[in-house]
Amino acid sequence: MVIGIPRGFLYYKHETLWKGFFDALGITYLISPKTNQEILDRGNEFAIDEACLSSKVYLGHVHWLIEKCDKVFVPRISSYGMDGEVCTKFPALFDLVTNTFADQEIELIHYNMDFRNADAEAPGFVKLGKLLGKSRTKSLRAYLIAKQGEKTQQILEGNKVREAMEQNGLKILVTGHAYNLHDPYLGTPVFEMLKKLDTIPISAARVHDKEIHRASHQISQNIPWVFNRELVGTIAHYQRKIDGIILITAFPCGPDSLINELVLRRIKNPPVLQLILDGQEGTAGMETRLESFIDIIRFKKEGYYDKI
Amino acid sequence: MKTAYLGIDVGSISTKAVLIDKKNKILARDYLWTEVDPIGTVKKLLYSLSDQLAKINEHHQDNPYQVQAVGTTGSARRLIGSITGASVIKNEITTHAIGTTSLYPEVRTIFEIGGQDSKIILIENGIVVDYAMNTLCAAGTGAFLSSLAQRLNEKVEDIGEIALTSDNPTRLAARCSVFAESDMVHKSQIGHSKKDIIAGICQSVVTNYMNNVAKGKRIIPPIIFQGGVSKNIGVTKAFERTTGHEIHVDPDSHLIGALGTAILAKNSKDPRPFDFRISEADFQTKGINCDKCANHCEVIAVYQDEKLIDAWGNKCDRGRVI
Repeated sequence: MVIGIPRGFLYYKHETLWKGFFDALGITYLISPKTNQEILDRGNEFAIDEACLSSKVYLGHVHWLIEKCDKVFVPRISSYGMDGEVCTKFPALFDLVTNTFADQEIELIHYNMDFRNADAEAPGFVKLGKLLGKSRTKSLRAYLIAKQGEKTQQILEGNKVREAMEQNGLKILVTGHAYNLHDPYLGTPVFEMLKKLDTIPISAARVHDKEIHRASHQISQNIPWVFNRELVGTIAHYQRKIDGIILITAFPCGPDSLINELVLRRIKNPPVLQLILDGQEGTAGMETRLESFIDIIRFKKEGYYDKI
Repeated sequence: MKTAYLGIDVGSISTKAVLIDKKNKILARDYLWTEVDPIGTVKKLLYSLSDQLAKINEHHQDNPYQVQAVGTTGSARRLIGSITGASVIKNEITTHAIGTTSLYPEVRTIFEIGGQDSKIILIENGIVVDYAMNTLCAAGTGAFLSSLAQRLNEKVEDIGEIALTSDNPTRLAARCSVFAESDMVHKSQIGHSKKDIIAGICQSVVTNYMNNVAKGKRIIPPIIFQGGVSKNIGVTKAFERTTGHEIHVDPDSHLIGALGTAILAKNSKDPRPFDFRISEADFQTKGINCDKCANHCEVIAVYQDEKLIDAWGNKCDRGRVI
């Protein structure tokens, strides 16, 4: 049996956990390719108009997997317990995919995470193992191995960010949801442009750190969404070590529309730039905004204005 | 030989060019509608500037001006920059900030509304401290004004004067030009006069700007208003009513971007002497659809007299033309 994993949404958070779990159980899986124009076009076809860009991308990935695997892996995640809630997209995703592709040959497989109904991560994975015909002990062991892998990965990510912070040069913290920032079609071009502009772009979207969670309280004490809380936490935590902040959002994102406004109002230093992605094909608008943002930070630092 | 520097600002609606001397003084200037032909428009502008420069040089025959470097800005900056062999290719925000502070070192706030972009730049002690730009669509920009003017069967250049004759501007939905247009038609059906509606349009440009671009920013005088829309006196007056401060519009307010990029070209460490004869060359652009992967990048190649000089648009090396 081959499990298909769509390369979208929480894949960018839990890649190591998911792959680790399937590897430990000896189950083969197929991951959809990196997002490209064709995947986005398919997603646009299947998604309703008002859906966010990231969910359109996700549906495109699911479509790519149809007929290439036996079951498509679509988890149903509604909260991370004490860490916070998630956007309603995530608990709805399983049913959304089921209904969108109702008239196609597709079978889904999932795990649930809903702390209010005592569905924590470990029991969720045990149930997933059961669906795959694996015993409780085997599944639990696979989960523990995979979880260990995820924790190691998070520590490594944290070290990477710490190292980047030590470098000399213009440091730009790029924040946003991991599934937007690290998507090769959506967020990666921003990082490439920033590198071309001779700056050090830093993303902390995949760092999971108690310290960062605590730091978010400096900006707001009651952000319900876990990913936004992490995002605000990284800003508060690194604020003094960086030269600029870029907020990346996929249009239209509910949680981001509130939280980004909060960040723009409460963070006065360093400068903040908000970029909204909506699958625009031309990159000129984005280039203009990034280039001018960097220019102004740099001119201020290097005293260019005296030369006019 | 005296040195001069050329700055070209190719916007979505109009194209502007200036020649400056070492002290940032404008020697020659001109502007034309872009009319979706940036290359042709720039050639025409270059003819005009070269004539103006020739006249100036008649008085300085022993010591004529020679263009030492070119800077480009605006939405077609890359295309025009590669054709003119520019030393500096810079975005509009930077060039506007540089251009304005060179003319008005004491400025604190710059309002800029162009054909498709609008922005606010805040300056303290001659240094940009903050700026914002419209995010997603062209609401409340020159494109909004010209589409509504067309609907009213008026020239976009005239609507400012017409707006001044109204004492009772009509309230219009300002968020989106499509909504504004249907709102405008509706208001006229229930009997609002044309001049009130036109004044309402000017006011809605300002409302939109204040709510979307300038929101949350502290607006401190002196305020300079520039970009193509600053030529519309109706919008300027609406800004004065809304902010309660005097709004200053420079006679060269549409040329500030070109001036800024000329200054950047002057200060660049890469001077490349420019020959006006370039406007006689034949330039062609060709769009190539790269089929090497699923991204289907649209690559643009620029040819000068059938020789490939530049290309861009490919997301990776597979689509590289040059």
